[in-house]
Amino acid sequence: MPRLLDLGLDRIRNIITDMARLSESSVFSALEAYESESNAKKHIFEQSEKLRTLQDEVTDLAIELIARYQPVATDLRFIKSCMEIAYGYSRFGRYSYDIVDVLETLGPLSGCNKHAVSEMAITVRKMILLSVNALESRDKTAAPDLYQMDDTVDTLYRKYLRELVSNLSKNSSDEPRCYISNLLILRYLERISDHACYVGDSVYYIITGSSSPRR
Amino acid sequence: MSSSSNEEVTSYSPGWSNVDVNKMLAPATTQASIKLSIQNVNAWFGKKHAVKNVSLDVKENSVTAFIGPSGCGKTTLLRCINRMHEMTPNARLDGKVILDGFDIYDKSSDSAMIKRRIGMVFQKPNPFPTMSIHDNVAAGLKLNGVRDKKLIRDVVEQSLVSAALWEEVKNDLDKPGMGLSGGQQQRLCLARALAMQPEILLMDEPTSALDPIASSKIEELVQQLKEHLTIIIVTHNMQQAARVSEYTAFMYLGELIEYDQTKDIFKNPHKELTEKYISGRFG
Repeated sequence: MPRLLDLGLDRIRNIITDMARLSESSVFSALEAYESESNAKKHIFEQSEKLRTLQDEVTDLAIELIARYQPVATDLRFIKSCMEIAYGYSRFGRYSYDIVDVLETLGPLSGCNKHAVSEMAITVRKMILLSVNALESRDKTAAPDLYQMDDTVDTLYRKYLRELVSNLSKNSSDEPRCYISNLLILRYLERISDHACYVGDSVYYIITGSSSPRR
Repeated sequence: MSSSSNEEVTSYSPGWSNVDVNKMLAPATTQASIKLSIQNVNAWFGKKHAVKNVSLDVKENSVTAFIGPSGCGKTTLLRCINRMHEMTPNARLDGKVILDGFDIYDKSSDSAMIKRRIGMVFQKPNPFPTMSIHDNVAAGLKLNGVRDKKLIRDVVEQSLVSAALWEEVKNDLDKPGMGLSGGQQQRLCLARALAMQPEILLMDEPTSALDPIASSKIEELVQQLKEHLTIIIVTHNMQQAARVSEYTAFMYLGELIEYDQTKDIFKNPHKELTEKYISGRFG
């Protein structure tokens, strides 16, 4: 017979699964809009808002479960982690919106060199999928893989920054809006990458009760 | 404190008075010395093997909780600690219970002295029914030869203060103990135990018959008293164990399954059986 707490845990798990898929879709849509110069701002804004609402729902439910059932051990760690993961997914939504906002504010960007963003987006997409799957399959081994990919993302970010400074000092003919848009989007991707790592950390914590070795 | 019944005792200084409430929530220190060491203890009731080869060390000035389902042996283990188990017909025990380096089951050990050093509070409040509040607290002193009336009065007051009952009964000391509410009766029993100036206090589900307010008073007292006593509490209430204790021992079918700091037992137990029990997944 399921415990009363299990009904609440199932509900929280379902919301988190919905958030995972929605946040993944939100980031992928934003990157697609950036690459194809399409207008997805309204759609992504709605997704971002939905993620924020779901994050509040997770927090409210988590507090209610703690107050009513005093969960311990794995249950308690799961609830704590769900609050952190929900925050991470809500940030995915917010950064997606920021990406399309750059497109609207500084676009059209079709004449800009988008190579740096495209290169980083490949790794970030993989990280999102890995973190979402790690949560669903309770895979603690994802955390070190995510940190390895995060190192790649950080390296790309720093490399672009150095190139940018170098090009600016050479009075390059490229348009400033290209630099600024690339820099902003790379920064948002770098933050998404960090949050994907935190999701991996939370999964590791749920399973082992310890902080991920990297932290 | 030791005395025969013929010897008059003229001085008495409970060490647990003037509790520093600011230290109530002081974390357990790993440097604390071992007050009590339970070593390979087995206990039987007739053929029933109730406690199976249990070993654990209890640190001084700490609160240790024994948890586990009904019949797991936690109360029996508690009763082994102050030699109450041997008072049950057909009960027997082997193993050692070392108190400050001395085995309480050694042939030279005095059972009455052990019970003075290791006090006990039971599940149901059990004041002496024909005695007044004052006499309930003073009973142990008188049995141990204390005759000085002023000394007895002082100890009764101090014990009632420490049991957080003084303010409620100071004008009714001559009234029957049985006239108090359930929560007050339990604190009276606590005062009675404290009057003997024990070094260890055993509490067997001390709040299971009390309402939440009376229960929380007892829990607060446990936190205060641990400054001067070592406390072992048996409880069915997992949240109570989590709130009041620094160490928790989980028992199942007479065996000690896991013994660790309470924060680790409730956040990250190492044994699957412990996890199942504390999170209500048993059965």
